[in-house]
Amino acid sequence: MARVRKGLTIISICALALTACAKTDEPGAAQPPGQQRGPVRIGISLPLTGDFSEPGKGIQEGYQVWADRVNAKGGLLGRKVELIFRDDASDPNRVSSDYESLITQDKVDLVFGPFSSRLVIPAAKVAESYGMLFVEPAGAAAEVFEQGFKRLFYAAPAIASDHYNYLADYLTKLPPGKRPKTAAYASLDDPFAQGTAYGLRDKLAAAGVKTVVDEVYPPETTDFAPIAAKIAAAKPDVVVGGTQFEDSVGLVRALQELKVQPKLAAFSTGPTLAEFPAAVKGAAEHILSPVGWSATATFTGNQELVKRYKELFGGDANEDAANGYTVGQIVEAAVTAVKCVDPTKECQDKLAQHIGQATFDTVVGPLSFDDKGRPEQAHMIQQYVDGKIEIVLPEQAKTADLVYPKRPW
Amino acid sequence: MHTVSRVLPLLLAALAIAYPWAVPNYYLVYAGALTVMYAAMSTSWNLLGGFTGYVSLGHSAFFGLGAYGTGLLVVRLGVPWAVALLVSALLVTVFAVGVGIAAVRVRGASFVIVSLALVSMMNLVVQGWRSLTGGSTGLQVPSPFPGLHRGQTHIVFFYLFLALLALALLSWWYVSRSRFGAGLRAIREDEDKAESLGVPTAAYKVAAFALSALFVALAGGLYALWFGSLDPIFVFSILIASFMVLMSLLGGVRHLYGPLLGALIVAPAGEYFLIALGETQIHLTATGLVLVLVVLFMPDGILARFTRRRAGPSIPDESAGQRLQGVTR
Amino acid sequence: MSLVLQGLALGVLTGGLYALLASGLSLYFGVMRVVMVAHPAFLFLAAYLTYTVHTTLGVDPFLALPVIVPLFFGLGVAVQRLLIARLAPDNLAMMSVLLTFGIALTIEGLLGTFYTGSYKSVSMEYATRSLTIGGVHLPYDKIIAFGVAALTLAVLFAVLVKSRFGQALRATIQHREAARLVGVPTERVAGYGFGVGLATAAVGGTVLALITPFFPASHWVWIGKLMAVIVVGGLGSVAGAALAAVVLGMVEGVVLVTVDATWATMMFYVFLFLTLLVRPQGFFGGRLAHRF
Repeated sequence: MARVRKGLTIISICALALTACAKTDEPGAAQPPGQQRGPVRIGISLPLTGDFSEPGKGIQEGYQVWADRVNAKGGLLGRKVELIFRDDASDPNRVSSDYESLITQDKVDLVFGPFSSRLVIPAAKVAESYGMLFVEPAGAAAEVFEQGFKRLFYAAPAIASDHYNYLADYLTKLPPGKRPKTAAYASLDDPFAQGTAYGLRDKLAAAGVKTVVDEVYPPETTDFAPIAAKIAAAKPDVVVGGTQFEDSVGLVRALQELKVQPKLAAFSTGPTLAEFPAAVKGAAEHILSPVGWSATATFTGNQELVKRYKELFGGDANEDAANGYTVGQIVEAAVTAVKCVDPTKECQDKLAQHIGQATFDTVVGPLSFDDKGRPEQAHMIQQYVDGKIEIVLPEQAKTADLVYPKRPW
Repeated sequence: MHTVSRVLPLLLAALAIAYPWAVPNYYLVYAGALTVMYAAMSTSWNLLGGFTGYVSLGHSAFFGLGAYGTGLLVVRLGVPWAVALLVSALLVTVFAVGVGIAAVRVRGASFVIVSLALVSMMNLVVQGWRSLTGGSTGLQVPSPFPGLHRGQTHIVFFYLFLALLALALLSWWYVSRSRFGAGLRAIREDEDKAESLGVPTAAYKVAAFALSALFVALAGGLYALWFGSLDPIFVFSILIASFMVLMSLLGGVRHLYGPLLGALIVAPAGEYFLIALGETQIHLTATGLVLVLVVLFMPDGILARFTRRRAGPSIPDESAGQRLQGVTR
Repeated sequence: MSLVLQGLALGVLTGGLYALLASGLSLYFGVMRVVMVAHPAFLFLAAYLTYTVHTTLGVDPFLALPVIVPLFFGLGVAVQRLLIARLAPDNLAMMSVLLTFGIALTIEGLLGTFYTGSYKSVSMEYATRSLTIGGVHLPYDKIIAFGVAALTLAVLFAVLVKSRFGQALRATIQHREAARLVGVPTERVAGYGFGVGLATAAVGGTVLALITPFFPASHWVWIGKLMAVIVVGGLGSVAGAALAAVVLGMVEGVVLVTVDATWATMMFYVFLFLTLLVRPQGFFGGRLAHRF
């Protein structure tokens, strides 16, 4: 009998809970509009630990510099900006649960994107299904834009497969005698890194440059000698690495060990980072790399970013930090234009709609987006010339001439 | 005591059913569904680990295969999600029988090594077979309930995982009372003696292995439908498998509710560690230390330590001889 | 053809390091019937310590060895005496895996906390140069790694075969109870066995730091490979493990240059399963492995 009574009590408590705690469907609806005078809270999940922690930190610093700048100017619509960071440990389960809790539990006003194409899709799914705007600094792989997201925008000049466009143009327009005949590609098994290398591969192959090695290696690879051995056996004119940082260094070292001397060497990401020349010990000379941002450019806010970054974090800003900063700039401009910043569907929709059709002045130049959130501009090509990073392509932005063929390393 | 063991399940069930409505936001529903998923998986892990004493660190292989199987059937062949879920779980079970035949030939350490190798192999296969699985780009599985918004989907999957948990618990309870279960327990105590007394040890071990894989594969399939994004390196993760082991050990492998209790402690604690200590990797150290402490000081789990008498159905402490009598009778 | 030779040569050089590490693993198994999952984690701990010594003091990485090796020997004895020896004997094989798995996670978390999750590497002057013999390039750093590993292995075998301690150790491996009956202090010997095992990880870590970049989670890849090596070699057989390691290293090298990295790693598991189906006790394991 006691048991039955207990059961009844439980059921009635449950029934009470049912009526009392019905959840709201929309993330922002719990806050009455009048109460929004606190800081603008922005939720961000980043890989602060794990495989992607290095670029994750760069983006975090970019976000922090942006928040610092905005607050110095009086904030967004007069409200201070407060960033809430979560660590996703480079794990998509974590990334989802981070955004889930940021949106439904912390009820943040805005969310900014995480790092890596691998984590952007799960994160964007959460944001999309709660109707939140999702401007992201790192999801450049083609697949990101094929998921039907309506509120996702990639805050950089071009998606992965277009990064090498200027270089492909340059090579295919060389006179037939000078044009390279063979090319070797080695790429990290990662949608972004692979995307960059394959973008160039497809364009060069179409122009008649023969692909002699096309190698994909898993992320945990640390020994690049066997890949270099394959490339050495094929003796290509061009070596292209679809790389992040560590593997670009490993590949350069292994190619030197196996005495591969191509006429042209291009690696994604790695060479754009400040640590690269020291890590490869002088072999950096004449290595090419696509770059979406330049420390010397005079685009809106760029010198402010470079200066403030140095004051806050000591070192030099890199492309990751610039991408984070760009996200901030775009959202800031959109908020100022549509004059609202809260998590309600109306406001987030207005923001997304505005970003979809406007053009933004950012540290990477003017940016606009197509209907899938893809940026419509292009990456520049940089090269180490006499130990300094110079922009060599496109013609109108160049600070030095492209050196081809390269000096042996 | 007897009443408690009867009322407790009802009470727990009532609480669990009420949970999604009693919490203030959808994040907690989501976290709850994850916890129940882990509880279901560690209970099914315990179908092998608890009865036979074989510690598998490779059950995330079945989780991942269940997930990818379901996802691929839905995405590539357009099979309805419920059918895909069942078909994929059955295929994984067949696969587990095959692996089991090779794996249970060896005991102890070799078995653990094989189970570890299984996870790495499956990761390599799925990551490498780009044309089928999407490789590192991952596999995007459409939601089975496009009409529901995200929070409602969480509630639905919370109940689906809860049903799976109930199924796993029932199976464990049923096995613990069966002749099959008695045979498995005999293997745990003394495999050679059991074999010499006519227990078909190899067949029993393979059966337990496959049954345990079946429920984990179902959990994987549900996860694929719920989560929608699969990525090989995260689905085939040794950490997922080690969580199943840790939860079972912490709660008590000899008890029906042991793994469930373990999951209720470890899963929320894991979330807490990540949020509280998330800035550094010290949360890994916390997990590692808990595992070391449990293995050293509580290898029989909380339930064995804190309940003098049995809380709910469990594997009784009896001598190997008694147990063998039970089987051969 | 020269490509295959090149792969083979690189494989042998890497195989030397595998052999050193696998012999440590085999030693633990021999003395305690324990599968030490944390072995690769200790390997990377040693690599990080080497990195610290090299970057803060600016000395040659090998000068770290006189500090790290005794330290790891002590750690090994401590792990055995304070942790492994406390486990109940009835399910030692399985429980020890979980225990050492916990230790591995603990180390990985600590490394990540102190050194952050990013790659570190020790890059020496000779890092980009190589020796060329008949069209085959042998990188100097790998030659040095192989040399150090081979030398350490030679010392290890000499100790096992010649010294009294080695005899006691082998007696303990072969039959613990019998060894105790004839007066071998098996508990203490088992502790020292662990010490020697971890000392191989210390040497291995220093060498590893020279040839590849590393980050805290790197040890997972090594667990699978080394486990496969010791099963193929035969659990508990130190010489078997070393031989299997070189063979698998060569297979890996050739597959790496002819197929790809996925298949190269897969070969370890293919050999593991083949061994279990054809000869579960391993190719050099004798009677030990079958039962464990």
